[in-house]
Amino acid sequence: MKGFCLEVWGDYACFTRPEMKVERVSYDVITPSAARAIFESILWKPAIVWNVKKIEVLNPIKWFSIRRNEVKDIASVSKVSKECIYTQDSIQQRATLCLKDVKYRIYAEFDFIPQEERENHLRNVLYEHTKKKLKEEILNGEDETESKYASMFERRASRGQCFNQPYLGCREFSAGFKLINPKEGKVAPIDETKDLGIMLYDMDFKDLQSPQALWFFAKMENGIINVPAWGSKEVLK
Amino acid sequence: MILQALKEYYYRKPDLPKFGFEKKEIPYIVVLDENGEVVNLEITYEGTGEEKRARKFLVPHSVRRTSGIVSNLLWDNPKYALGIKTKNDDERDEQVSKMHQKFKNEINLLGKQEDKGLNALKLFLEKSDKEKLLQKKFAENLKVLLEDENPLITFRLEGESDIIANSKILLNSIIEAYRSSENIKNLKKFDKAEKTICLISGEKDIIERLHPSIKGVWRARSSGANIVSFNSSAYCSYGKEQGNNSPSGIKAVFAYTTALNFLLDKKSQQKIQVGDSFTMIFWAAKKDNLENDFASFFNIPQKDDPNKGVKTVKALLESVKSGALSNDDSKTEFYVLGLSPNEARIAVRFFIKDTVRGMSENIAKHFQDLEIDRPSFESEFLPLFKLLVSTAVLGESENIAPHLAGDFMMSVLKGLPYPETILQAVINRIKAQDYKYKAKNRKAEKAKSEWVISHERVALIKAYLNRLSRKTQKEEEITVSLNKENTNQGYVLGRLFATLEKLQGEAQEKPNSTIMRYYGTASSSPVAVFSTLMRLHQHHLNKLSKEKAGRAVYFEKLIGEIQDKIDNSKGYPSYLSLTEQGMFSVGYYQQRQDFFKPKKEKTETENKIQGEQENG
Repeated sequence: MKGFCLEVWGDYACFTRPEMKVERVSYDVITPSAARAIFESILWKPAIVWNVKKIEVLNPIKWFSIRRNEVKDIASVSKVSKECIYTQDSIQQRATLCLKDVKYRIYAEFDFIPQEERENHLRNVLYEHTKKKLKEEILNGEDETESKYASMFERRASRGQCFNQPYLGCREFSAGFKLINPKEGKVAPIDETKDLGIMLYDMDFKDLQSPQALWFFAKMENGIINVPAWGSKEVLK
Repeated sequence: MILQALKEYYYRKPDLPKFGFEKKEIPYIVVLDENGEVVNLEITYEGTGEEKRARKFLVPHSVRRTSGIVSNLLWDNPKYALGIKTKNDDERDEQVSKMHQKFKNEINLLGKQEDKGLNALKLFLEKSDKEKLLQKKFAENLKVLLEDENPLITFRLEGESDIIANSKILLNSIIEAYRSSENIKNLKKFDKAEKTICLISGEKDIIERLHPSIKGVWRARSSGANIVSFNSSAYCSYGKEQGNNSPSGIKAVFAYTTALNFLLDKKSQQKIQVGDSFTMIFWAAKKDNLENDFASFFNIPQKDDPNKGVKTVKALLESVKSGALSNDDSKTEFYVLGLSPNEARIAVRFFIKDTVRGMSENIAKHFQDLEIDRPSFESEFLPLFKLLVSTAVLGESENIAPHLAGDFMMSVLKGLPYPETILQAVINRIKAQDYKYKAKNRKAEKAKSEWVISHERVALIKAYLNRLSRKTQKEEEITVSLNKENTNQGYVLGRLFATLEKLQGEAQEKPNSTIMRYYGTASSSPVAVFSTLMRLHQHHLNKLSKEKAGRAVYFEKLIGEIQDKIDNSKGYPSYLSLTEQGMFSVGYYQQRQDFFKPKKEKTETENKIQGEQENG
């Protein structure tokens, strides 16, 4: 179905490599899963699932290093254990090697999911109460079309509406976004071709108890990264 | 990308330890005969004092020992290997016998083997009270062992040249033992899939639970630290534990950790320590000369070859100029990795991947930018440490601004402008009249001008400003020698200041307080100072013209020339921007250098005046 293009920018970005998660090191460019998350923050419904097609890197890749004080404990809901985290006892200093002044154009499409398939879809994992609501929708017979969601997205994106502020890898690095009209002129991506190695493609939540990571060999050609489709053989699992 | 590059480096080096092994310094060897009787207790230390090192052996890879009783295979400390406590050990006796039992168990897991050495060892291990045995015949060496801080022991069969752990018969069993070690056994609890995609190699492999530790990063935990570690709940995601957070196969993990440990080794030629902030390692995808030369571009030259830095830089500049780097070899990928310690973890400070050619050109540019006329006693070559320490308070390496070292290194290797902090730091040090870093070994109380406005500092200012101009596509302003045509106000005022100082020096025999005490104000707000200085200089001129008329005229002319360049429409400037203050220091320094250049001919003016005096 018809694709959309979003221009996304931010002062800082950190698409953390899984192997360097504690002392954070970012990937060179945005990961497909982070790109997908930006589209989802603007519009997501159980009826759609986003697929990122292409990423264009518009700004040269610049790095920035910072050390921050963080805590090493996670909040616990159990009544037996502590009610709060005392930062003095739990403090850890963690270094971050992140990107600076990033700007991307992300091209993505969504797959429309017919009503019967929404409850137990492979990629959209839903809460129980959402599943109940879905069953009601089918009984009420709402009329569902692909174009309904397409226009919803177009409306929201052009107005700057979002469910939560899109972010670049980590929540503290907020992103600005703009819907790009296909009639608007093309902006040239950076003139760099390099092999980015193995990058995280996305997470497979089929098994909720143990989500699996998916990988792909990423290559940037003249600033453009072509993202393989879910289920294609380029995606390693 | 980082781990992948390290893994590939491991595979291109043929002499790194094979899968399941590592190189370890083992100081003590117990030599046994075929019946398990002790024939000798050897000590393998070589060298003295700081350089004292035990011989390195290829042994089965060490296990991760945190709190439990885990034994290494065929080598370990005396508690495990012999059941003996040394002077630093305070475990209970039952603990020690448990440890020794574990050691024996590991060996029994190898099964029945045809190896004579192994069987002899098994016989020896069954003996009780080994301490007494060794005490009887090898009391002296045993004493040394018991006093040692870290006495690792392994075994050898009499008549063999190699230790038992290196026996070819045992090779496969040792590798099998590594594969099925505790590490991997525990993994099956956490992940249902036995083999998952490894994010380093992209192939399916058993996932490593705890990566082997990396030793050699300055100021990290001495028993080893990790780049990849998830030792707290806050670091885990999706309910994964430990290594499952970043699935890496055991083969790839072994490769990258072995490569890292090799590059970070004490004797490594591919490692540079930059102050306290980070350790830098570098390697090439294929064998290349840059690997050998890289360290000498930045390290302080050793006493045995003090000109090494100068030679390698000259060769580099030559090869860049002559185009020798345009061949195919120079497209080889070159990697530089900067690592910072954080207790038990290692943070990546930066990672640069470039071609040999690109890297060489950037380094050459760095040295070309730093080139400046200097006094003959100053070295041509400026190592990294000297440059950084000139920006630090009192020249102490711990006072170097926290991120400056890393940012500076990155800008050099990437060909970017230096960090802005460099200019600020240098100018601050000059204004504070900080000369300590130059005068460290001398008992000087007063700041000499060439120590404060020193070669390193001025070179840094020149390089910073020129690189910035290049980036913004403006013309590079500062030349290597004095530039008489330069009209930058800061530069001109600096030249004027230097001339006035020289004039005072020649007019007065031993001035009590020189013009130098005005330096700080002169460079930041000239208007406050220069009118006074110009008034005073008249007196100096008068005094000098009585003794050496020729010289006085020379100075008068020079000062006139310089003043012509000052934009007097508003009088002297009330303040100079940071860039102009930098130019002030450069102008001052270059004018001074010009004064001390050997004058082969007297100036025309001086000759003329002398002639007139003689005739008149």
